[in-house]
Amino acid sequence: MLLFREGSREAFEELFSRHHRAVVRFAWRMTGDPSSAEEAAQEIFLRIARAAPTYLPTAKFTTWMYTVARRTTLNYLRDTKEDGERIPILLEGEGGDGVYPVQLPGPDDRNPEQVVWEGQLTERFRTALGELPEGQRAAFVLNRGDGLSYEEVAQVLGITAQAVKTRIFRAREVLLSRLSKDLSS
Amino acid sequence: MGCRDIRETLSAFVDGEASPGESAVVRGHLASCGRCRVLERQMRAVGEGVRQVRGPVPDRFREKVFARLESEGALPNRKKVFPATWRWAVVPLAAAAGLGLFLLTSREVVRGPAPPAPVAARVGTPVPHAPSPQQDVEPLSTEDREMLAMLDLLEDPVAFDANDDAEGMDLLAPGAPAESPHPPRGGRSGA
Repeated sequence: MLLFREGSREAFEELFSRHHRAVVRFAWRMTGDPSSAEEAAQEIFLRIARAAPTYLPTAKFTTWMYTVARRTTLNYLRDTKEDGERIPILLEGEGGDGVYPVQLPGPDDRNPEQVVWEGQLTERFRTALGELPEGQRAAFVLNRGDGLSYEEVAQVLGITAQAVKTRIFRAREVLLSRLSKDLSS
Repeated sequence: MGCRDIRETLSAFVDGEASPGESAVVRGHLASCGRCRVLERQMRAVGEGVRQVRGPVPDRFREKVFARLESEGALPNRKKVFPATWRWAVVPLAAAAGLGLFLLTSREVVRGPAPPAPVAARVGTPVPHAPSPQQDVEPLSTEDREMLAMLDLLEDPVAFDANDDAEGMDLLAPGAPAESPHPPRGGRSGA
């Protein structure tokens, strides 16, 4: 990024090659559909390029990149909402106090880790993920999807690591309440 | 710690983010609680679900991104890289130009009224027709003279056709006896 800031086009091309898959995946998980993901991902790279002159290496590049990516997808989703289209964003806390009636399976049920993530289940999961409050979804996606630590997620979202822990826990509770039957049957 | 109280810590434990002390508490609880062991596995499964939500990189994604960047002028121009390269190319280019100039000048000297250069440096010039009086010029051998005569002949088709030896060319046709003065035309037809 520093090389790109100094005027190296090749540096940006290398940056793009390294990170475009991760950016597209993140946008896909945050927006929930391919066309929105593509538009958001394009916008993310535009913003990265525009921000180059003021980029300062105060954190890992990927942390900075996900910060840009998260803000871009958030703005994209808000813009889409203003256009009157369906948007899966809920306000933070709208989902309740984090206590959900999870119906746990009995101890003899099959191991949920061995769930076969086939088309229908993945689709239901994607829908449930899209219905999470944006803050919870971003925390959960960044940690479980992109492999960022709680501390890195905290930097991206501008909150504390403890808040990240709570958001991810609440996200899990919601997803389990929606998918517990799928995960135990 | 009860099941309800341990759930948030269990979530962090599943993510590898619980402290050593928290992890010890969670492990102790899981050892005695079947319901929370199932919950732990479900929490892991939900984490795996996120990774299953993925799509391919859209077609021509790179081209679209770079086209937008180009239209905004957000990318450095490739041309900026070249001036530095051209600066380094000045030396070999100047050397090549100097060499070319030298060669052109040398040819003019050869063609001019100045004393001719040795034969080896004058390939293609009409040496046999303008023999040099200089003593240091190596005389052409008989073989060289025959070769040059043949070259002159090839450069003049009229003289070539008029030459009686052209009839003799048929002698080289495949299948024709070399001794025959009038071999059948058509080459292989008689073979």
